[in-house]
Amino acid sequence: MTDREKAIAELLESLKDSKNTEELYNNDRCDNKSATKKVFDKFKIKDIVFLAIITTCTLITGAIMPLLVNIPVFGIIQLGLGLQFSIFPVIGMMKVRKPFSLLLQSAFISIFLAFMFPPMVLLLVCSIVVELLTLIVFKGYKNDWACVFSGTLYMPMTMPLLYMYYNVFYTISGNEKSAVSMFIGCKNYGMIIGMTIAVILLCFVGSVIGMVIARELKKAGKLK
Amino acid sequence: MNFIKYKNNLYPLIAILSSLLILVVGLVMAKSIKCTYFLIFVLFWLIMFGCYKQVIKMSLIFIVIGGCFTIICYFSSNKNIISALSMLNRFGAVFIAIVPSISVKPVAMTRNLSQLHTPRSIVLGLLITISYLPVLKMEIKRVSEAMKTRGVGSIFNPKIFYRAFLIPLITRIVDISDTLSLSIETRGFTLGKSNYTIYKKEKIYFLDVIYILGLIISIILVVLL
Repeated sequence: MTDREKAIAELLESLKDSKNTEELYNNDRCDNKSATKKVFDKFKIKDIVFLAIITTCTLITGAIMPLLVNIPVFGIIQLGLGLQFSIFPVIGMMKVRKPFSLLLQSAFISIFLAFMFPPMVLLLVCSIVVELLTLIVFKGYKNDWACVFSGTLYMPMTMPLLYMYYNVFYTISGNEKSAVSMFIGCKNYGMIIGMTIAVILLCFVGSVIGMVIARELKKAGKLK
Repeated sequence: MNFIKYKNNLYPLIAILSSLLILVVGLVMAKSIKCTYFLIFVLFWLIMFGCYKQVIKMSLIFIVIGGCFTIICYFSSNKNIISALSMLNRFGAVFIAIVPSISVKPVAMTRNLSQLHTPRSIVLGLLITISYLPVLKMEIKRVSEAMKTRGVGSIFNPKIFYRAFLIPLITRIVDISDTLSLSIETRGFTLGKSNYTIYKKEKIYFLDVIYILGLIISIILVVLL
């Protein structure tokens, strides 16, 4: 085989290789497309790590919880924790745009909150409800407003559950009525509505702040 | 012989289960004097099983908070002792229920969950959440010190708080999580189904069994008598 023939053979082989790589690239693109179409993506290690660290942040800023639980005012816990529990979960959801990322964050945090105030395990139930609502309305977390939506509803969802807990705990119908209902405001529907609206507004503001931070980090190339 | 060894900490799952039992029984039976006896028994039972430090901590908080609300309740219900007692019982149940939970070390809890084949993603997340608490506290301190060094102004100004505190902090968090996930992946940790061992296994000891049995028997006695 002459040098010329050898060169032609090598060229042909390299062409074949490039065709193969092109095919592989196309297959990869198809796989990626099918992956983006999926609603339920698998969690990767980096997702779990980020969600856990952002949960730690929520936990640190929510350290005022043991002080708040002893103030028997309806919705005081949510009012004190609303901002932190909407900013950080929204950042978490905007980085890990997969269904059940909020549920994972709740699972990580509720174990520790249970030590401070056992009924806060109800956060798990709330996150499941919020995730389902978001999946029904937005079909995933691809839209930024889906994250804001779930961040806004996350903390206020605990209010009806804690309302029931307070009712059992203080037994409003008993003799303690006059003193305790004054604190909880269960008979004062104006207070219940007012507190609920205040908590929802606070959580909405927190969620929007979370979204703004996440967008800024994305612009800076930090949040891929 | 290890099964009958004395140890200070309760088996994690037994501790959590006992917390739930104390809370439920205490809240349901709060109006009865039997509940007070039950809670006193549980208090001594916990001290016997090595939770005396946690009992002292919780007792101090309980005396202040529980005492205040019991007095309020007593006077507001026309000096009705039963009402005051039920309030005291409820607060007592909540504070005593916290004792076994806080006696469990978070690492022991994580190991226990690993042993029970809890999804690895949950265990990994819990472990990171526990171990990164001091790291993040340090980061918060560093960012606030950097703010002071630059002389940016008060942290209570929302604009300064957002630009000089929140954004650098989240940026640091993202960096930390990227580094950590890379180091976890390079060490061969996977989330899939793979065989793994546990460095130190949590075991149920004879004392754990006696502890939970004593608690269950006391609950049965409170309900039946």
